[in-house]
Amino acid sequence: MKFRYAMVCSSNQNRSMEAHSLLKRQGFDASSYGTGAHVKLPGPSLREPNVYDFGTPYKQMFDDLRRKDPDLYKRNGILPMLKRNSSVKLAPQRWQENASDGSFDVVFTFEEKVFDMVVEDLHSRDQAFMRSVLVINLEVKDNHEEAAIGAQLALDLCQMIEASDSWEDSIDEIIAAFETKHRRKLLYSISFY
Amino acid sequence: MASRDQALSLLAAANTHSDLAVKLSSLKQAKDILLSVEPSLAAELFPYLAELQFSPENLVRKMLVKIIEEIGLKAMEHCSVLIPVLLAFMKDTDPLVARQSIISCTHIFCAVLEEMALQFRRRGKVEHGLEELWLWMIKFKDAVFAIAMEPGYVGTKLLSLKFLETYILLFTDDTNDSDKLVAEGNRQLFNVSWLVGGHPVLDPVALMSDADRTLGILLDFLQSPSNLPGSLTIVVVNCLAAIARKRPLHYGTVLSALLDFSPNFEAVKVCHTASIQYSLRTAFLGFLRCTHPVIFESRDRLLRALRAMNAGDAADQVIRQVDKMIKNNERASRESRFSRDDQLSSQLPVSGDQLRKRSVSLDTEELANGHEVSSKRICYGPNISSTVPIQINDSEEESVSVNGVSSNASLLDSDLTPVEQMIAMIGALLAEGERGAESLEILISNIHPDLLADIVIANMKHLPKNPPPLSRSGNLPVSRPIGPVSSPAQVVVTSAPTNSFSPVPTAHVPFSATNGLSLSDTSTANNYPADAKRDPRRDPRRLDPRRAASSVGVPSIPITDDAGAMEPEFDGSISLSKPLSLPVVTSVESPALPMSNSETDDKAIENPLVPESDQVSLKEKIFSKPEDAVPSSEVKTSSDHGLSPPHTVDEDSVASKLSDVEVTFEAHTSAFMELDQHSPAVSNTSIPEETCQDLPQLPIYIELTEEQQRNVRKLAVERIIESYKPLPGTDYSWTRMALLARLVAQIDADDDIVVMLQNHIVLDYQLQKGHELVLHILYHLHSLVTLDSAGSSSYASALYEKFLLVVAKSLLDTFPASDKSFSRLLGEVPVLPESALTLLDDLCYRDVLDSHGKEVRDGERVTQGLGAVWGLILGRPNNRQACLDIALKCAVHSQDDIRAKAIRLVANKLYQLNYIADNIEQFATKMILSAVDQRTSDTELSQSGSTDQREGEVGSQETSVSGSQLSDTGNCETNTARGAQGVVQSASTMSLSEAQRLVSLFFALCTQKPTLLQLVFDIYGRAPKTVKQAVHRNIPILIRALGSSYSELLRIISDPPEGCENLLMLVLQKLTQETMPSADLIATVKHLYETKLKDATILIPILSSLSKNEVLPIFPRLVGLPIEKFQMALAHILQGSAHTGPALTPAEVLVAIHDISPEKDGLALKKITDACSACFEQRTVFTQQVLAKALNQMVDQTPLPLLFMRTVIQAVDAFPTLVDFVMELLSKLVSRQVWKMPKLWVGFLKCVSQTRPHSFRVLLQLPPPLLESALNKHANLRGPLATYASQPSIKTSLPRSTLAVLGLLNDSQTQQHVTSLHPSETSSSVHGANLT
Repeated sequence: MKFRYAMVCSSNQNRSMEAHSLLKRQGFDASSYGTGAHVKLPGPSLREPNVYDFGTPYKQMFDDLRRKDPDLYKRNGILPMLKRNSSVKLAPQRWQENASDGSFDVVFTFEEKVFDMVVEDLHSRDQAFMRSVLVINLEVKDNHEEAAIGAQLALDLCQMIEASDSWEDSIDEIIAAFETKHRRKLLYSISFY
Repeated sequence: MASRDQALSLLAAANTHSDLAVKLSSLKQAKDILLSVEPSLAAELFPYLAELQFSPENLVRKMLVKIIEEIGLKAMEHCSVLIPVLLAFMKDTDPLVARQSIISCTHIFCAVLEEMALQFRRRGKVEHGLEELWLWMIKFKDAVFAIAMEPGYVGTKLLSLKFLETYILLFTDDTNDSDKLVAEGNRQLFNVSWLVGGHPVLDPVALMSDADRTLGILLDFLQSPSNLPGSLTIVVVNCLAAIARKRPLHYGTVLSALLDFSPNFEAVKVCHTASIQYSLRTAFLGFLRCTHPVIFESRDRLLRALRAMNAGDAADQVIRQVDKMIKNNERASRESRFSRDDQLSSQLPVSGDQLRKRSVSLDTEELANGHEVSSKRICYGPNISSTVPIQINDSEEESVSVNGVSSNASLLDSDLTPVEQMIAMIGALLAEGERGAESLEILISNIHPDLLADIVIANMKHLPKNPPPLSRSGNLPVSRPIGPVSSPAQVVVTSAPTNSFSPVPTAHVPFSATNGLSLSDTSTANNYPADAKRDPRRDPRRLDPRRAASSVGVPSIPITDDAGAMEPEFDGSISLSKPLSLPVVTSVESPALPMSNSETDDKAIENPLVPESDQVSLKEKIFSKPEDAVPSSEVKTSSDHGLSPPHTVDEDSVASKLSDVEVTFEAHTSAFMELDQHSPAVSNTSIPEETCQDLPQLPIYIELTEEQQRNVRKLAVERIIESYKPLPGTDYSWTRMALLARLVAQIDADDDIVVMLQNHIVLDYQLQKGHELVLHILYHLHSLVTLDSAGSSSYASALYEKFLLVVAKSLLDTFPASDKSFSRLLGEVPVLPESALTLLDDLCYRDVLDSHGKEVRDGERVTQGLGAVWGLILGRPNNRQACLDIALKCAVHSQDDIRAKAIRLVANKLYQLNYIADNIEQFATKMILSAVDQRTSDTELSQSGSTDQREGEVGSQETSVSGSQLSDTGNCETNTARGAQGVVQSASTMSLSEAQRLVSLFFALCTQKPTLLQLVFDIYGRAPKTVKQAVHRNIPILIRALGSSYSELLRIISDPPEGCENLLMLVLQKLTQETMPSADLIATVKHLYETKLKDATILIPILSSLSKNEVLPIFPRLVGLPIEKFQMALAHILQGSAHTGPALTPAEVLVAIHDISPEKDGLALKKITDACSACFEQRTVFTQQVLAKALNQMVDQTPLPLLFMRTVIQAVDAFPTLVDFVMELLSKLVSRQVWKMPKLWVGFLKCVSQTRPHSFRVLLQLPPPLLESALNKHANLRGPLATYASQPSIKTSLPRSTLAVLGLLNDSQTQQHVTSLHPSETSSSVHGANLT
C-alpha cells in the first residue's frame, strides 16, 4: 500500500465512513472527513435534523439518539451506522480543520460540492511541501445502500491506483478504465501539499 | 574530531554496507552528526556525503536528498558543494528521487533568496558563499524549466510546474501579499518586492521579467493541450489560477488564457476532459471568491464562462457569499467618490490603503523593470539618436512658447494628485512594452472610471493651444525649441545622478505614458482646443507624476553605496505616496512640457527620417538642459549627487521612449481599449544597445473654424455617447460616463451638446444608466465647483445648473407622472440650485399664475412634484426648508385637489418628522389665524409671499378687504377709492372656499395632533361666518379621522372656551352620530351641563344614551328649548340606544310633558303646549294607542295635569276614533268631580261640547246643578241634549232633577224638578233640530 487515502463526504457519517470502513478492512491506509459546517443526521422530520459538532464521538451520538427514539433511529439505520462508525474511529472529523493530519496521496470525495470544498481548501493552504495530491470525486447518493455500493467502487478505484507505478502518469487511463467498467462518471483534480 | 571520524565511518557504512537497513540507519546517524557540529566542520565532510549520490539504492539516494536539504537549510553558505548532487538527482532514474530533489531544491531556493535579501538588508552585502549558491540555484531553475518542457515522468513534471508557479509568485511583486505573509509569520516570506534597495546579486528587474517569461511558459502549455496528459493540464490550470489569485497583476493574462482555453479543448482526446473542464470551473469559481478589484471587475466574464459550463448555480452561490463584501466595497467607493478632495484614496475603487499601496508598488515594479525593458526594447534603424534630439527640441520650444513663465508658479505648490500618479504608472507600463501590456490591461481595468476619465482629460490638455503651423511632409520640427524629453532627463539627473543607468529610463517612462494617453485622446477628440479656462499650464497633473515615478523608481538601483542612508527614504516612498510630494515639487519645470507632447509625438511618429547630423546637437541639448534645471530642482531635493549621466544610457532611454510612443500610438489609434494587445507586438525584439528608430511623419494640423470646431466637438461627444453599443460589458460604461462628465465640464456651454446629451439620457434613461450618467456629470461639475477656487467654478456651477435643469425638465416632459426618475434625480444630485427648486415649485404650483387661461394642470404632475418634495425633505436637509415651503404653499392652494394632495403629504408624512413638525404647525396656525382674524392679520397674510402670490385672482377680493380695513383704521386718504369699494364688500369678508383653503391644513394636522383642536375652539367664537362654515365642514371629517381617540377632545369639551357652543354642539353631534357615545363623553357632557354650560342643548346628542331616570330630571329643560331643538331632543330620547332601548316611550314622553309644572319648573305654559303639539305632529310615533295609553295613565294622576283636557281634546281631534275612549275618560273625570278643578272643568266642558252627541251620556251623568251650569255655558247643547234625553229609553233612566234641568218635566209637574226639565228640553230641541 503505497498511498495514503482520505474519504470525504459531508458529515463524515455515511458515505465516507462506509468507504473508510471498507478500505480499512482491506488494509488501506485511510482516513475520513466531512466538509460540512456540522454533522447532520436525520431526525424525526426533515426539518428537525440532529445536529452535532464535528468531534462529537459517534458513541455519544449513538447514546443520544437511542435515548430520543430508539425505534425510529434503529429503523432508519442511523443507530447501526453510528455503531459501525464508532468501531472505525472515535468521532467525525472536519476536513478543513484537520490539515495537520499530514498529506494524503489520494482524496476521495462523494459529492461534487464536497469535491469543490476540498479542492478550494487545498488551494488556500500554503502548499510548501510540494507533494502532489489526487482528488477524485465519485458521486454517491447519501443513503445506506448507495453508500455501500460507493464504498465498493472506491475500493476498486483505490486498487487500480495502487496498481499503477505512479498515479500521475496513468491517472487518465485509470479514470477512463473505471468509467467504462462501472459506467460511473468521475472527476479528478490535482493539488499540492 | 571524534564526531568527524564517526561521521566518516557512518558515511562509509552508508555507502558500502551490504544491508540496506544498515545503510539507511548509518546515513541517518551521520546526518545527525553533521547537523550537530559546526557548519564549517561539517562542510569538510560534504564531499564524502556527496559520494553517496552514486549509491545504487534509491532509498539511500532519496534520503541523501533530504539530508542535503536539511543541511543546506542550516549551513547555507557551505553547501554549494552539495547542490550539484541535487541537480544530478533531478535526472535520477528513480522518479521519486528526482521529485524529492526538486522539492528539496525548491526549499533551498526559497531559503537562499530570503537569506540573500535579509543579508543585504542587514549588512548591505551578500556573502560570497551565498552568491555562489545562488548561481547553483539559477542552474537548478534552468534544470527544472527544462524538465517542465521536456518529456519525462508526469509526476516529476507536475512538481516542476509547481516550481514554476512558486517562481512566478516569488518574483511577481505583490506588496499586499508579502505584507500579509510577513504579518502572519508565514513560511514563504520572500517576495521580489523586498529587493527595492538595488541588490548586488539579485536584479529585481531581471527577475520580474523572468517571472513574466515563466508565466508565458505556463501559458504555452495551454496552447497544445492535446499533447499533454490530463493531469498536467489540470495542474497547469490550477497553477495559473493560483498565480492569478495571489498576484492580481497577472490576473488578466491568466483569465483570458483560461477563457480562450475553454472552447478549444474539445480537441483534447487523450485525457479526461470532464476533469479538465472542471478544473477551469474550479479556477473561475476561485476567482469569483476573490474580492480583489481587478478580479472583481471581471465578474461578468466569469459568470458568463461559468454559465456556459453549466456551473451557473455554483457561481451564483459563490457570488452570494462574496456579495456582502462586494457591496461594502461599492459603498466605500461611492462614498469616497463623493469626497474627492479628501485623499488620493478617494479616487480609487477600493478602500484607499490597499490600492494606494498597490499602485505604488506597481509603480516601482514597473519602473524597476524599466531598465531592462528599455534596453531590450531599442530597435530599428540607425538614426535613432539623431531623431530623438530633434523631437526634443521640437517639443520643448513648443512648450516654452505655450507655457509662459508664469505657469511654473502655480505648479510649484501643486500636490501630486491621483491622476498624476496614475499617469505615471501608465507611463511606466507603456514603457514596458510587452510586459507592461499585461499589467496595463490589468491596471486600466482596475482604474476607477472617474480616475480614468480624469487621466484622459488631463492628457487632452496637452494638446497645444496654438496649433503649430504644419505642412504635411516637409516641415520637420528640427527648428523647434527644446521640449519635454529633456526635462525628464533633468529630473532624473537631479534626483538620482549617482546611478544614471537605471534612472534615466525610468524617468522617461512616464513621459511616454502621457504621450500614449494623449494620443489615444487625439484619436477621438484631437481637435478640441484646450479650454481657455483650463489652461494646460495651470494644470498640475502634467509631468509631476513622472517626477514621482522617477523618484520612486530610482532608488532601486543607485543605492549600492550608501544604502544605509537611503533605505528608509525609499521604503517610505514605496509604501506610501506621501513622501513623493517632495519630488513633485522639484519637477515643476517639466510639467510644462507634456502639454505639447502629444502633438509633438504625434508628429514624430509620422516622421519617417531624421538626418543624422542632428544627433550631436541633440545630445548637447539634453545635457545642457539638466544643468539648467539643476538649480531649480535642487531647492527641494537636496540632491548631492553629481550630474553625470552616461550618454549611452541616455540614448537608450530616449530611443526606448520613442519606440514606446510609437507602440502606444498604434494601439490607441485602433482602439483605446486594445492598447495592450498591440503594444507587445511591436516591441518584442530585444536588442540592447542597438539603436534605431523610424521617425514617423507629423500629422497634418488643420485650423478649424469655429463652426467646424463645434461640429467636431459634437461628433466626439456623440461618438462617446454611442460608444456603449460597441463596448460590451459594463466595465467600460463607467469609463464612458466618467469621460462624458469631463467633456461636458470642459466644453464651453454648448447648447447643442447639452441637448444631445439630454436626448441621449432621456432616451435610455432606465436602460442605459442615463441616471448614472447624469449623476456622473453633475458630480463632476460639482466637484469642479467645489475644488476650483478660481474662475472656472462659476462657469461650472452655471453649467451644472443648466444641465440639471435641462435634464430634469426633459425627464418631466418625457416620462409619465408616475415615473420616479425625476424625484430620484433631484434626490441624488450633489446639490440643488435655486432654479431646481423653482422648477419643483412650478411643478407643484405652476398654473395659479396662468390661471387666466384654461387650467391645464395635471393632477398627476402635482403628485409627482409633491412626491419629489417629500423625498427631498427626507433626503436633503439643506433644501428642507425650501421644499417644505413648497409643500406648505400647496397645502393652502386654492385648487381643491392640489390642496388635498399637499395636505395629505404634509399632515400624514411630513408632520410626522419631528424636525419640521413645528414649522408646519406654525404655518398652519398662521393660516387659520389669518382666516379668522382677517381684520387684524391681513397685512400678515399679504406679506407671507406664498399666500399672497397664489391668491392671485382670489386676491382681488382680499385686497378689497384689506382696503376696507385700511380705511377703517383711518388711512382713508390714500385708499379712498379702494376703501369705498372695500366697504361694500366688507360684509362678505371672505368666501367660504377661501376660508376652507386656509383652515383645511390645520384640521388635517388636528387629526394627527388633537391638542391643536383647542385653537379651533378658541378662535371659533370670533371667527367670521364663512370661517365657521369652513370649520363646520371640516369637523365631521376630523371627528371621523379621530375615531375613538378623542380624549383630547373631551378635555376641550369639559372646558370649552366661550363662544364655541355651536361648534361644541356640532362636535357632540358628530361624536354621537354614528357610534354610541362613550361613558367618558357622557360624563363629560353631563358635567359640563351641570357646571359651566347650563344650556340643555348640549345634552341633546347624548340623550339617546341616557336612561329614563337621567332624562326625566332634565326633561323640563329640554322642553324649555326652542321647538326645533326640542324636536331634536325628542328624537334622541325616543331613538335611544341599541343597548338600552329608548329612554322614554312616547307615552312616557307625553306623560313627562304633562308632568311639567309651569310654576315649579319655571317654564312658560306655552313651551309645554308647544312641546305637546310637537308630539302630536309626529302622528306615526304618537299614535292613538300611545295617546290612549298616556291619557289613561294621566287620568288617574292626582292632581290631574294641567294640560290634560287640552291634550284630550287634541287627541280626539287628531284621532276621532278615540271618541269612545275619551268618553270613558270623561266619565272618569265626572266621577272624579272634574268640576272642582276649574281649569280642567273648562276644558272638560269644551271637550264635551266638541264631542257631542257622544258626550251626552257623560253630560247626563253630571249632577243636575252642574249640568245646568254647563248648559248655560254651552247653550247650544241644551236642545240636542234634551232631545237625546227625551228618548224613552234614556228618559226613564234619568233622575227627575236632571229631566227638570232639561225641561223635560211637564209644567204641571213640580218646580222642584226644574233641573231635570232642561235636559229634556235640550234633547227635544236637539231632536227638533234634527227634524228640521
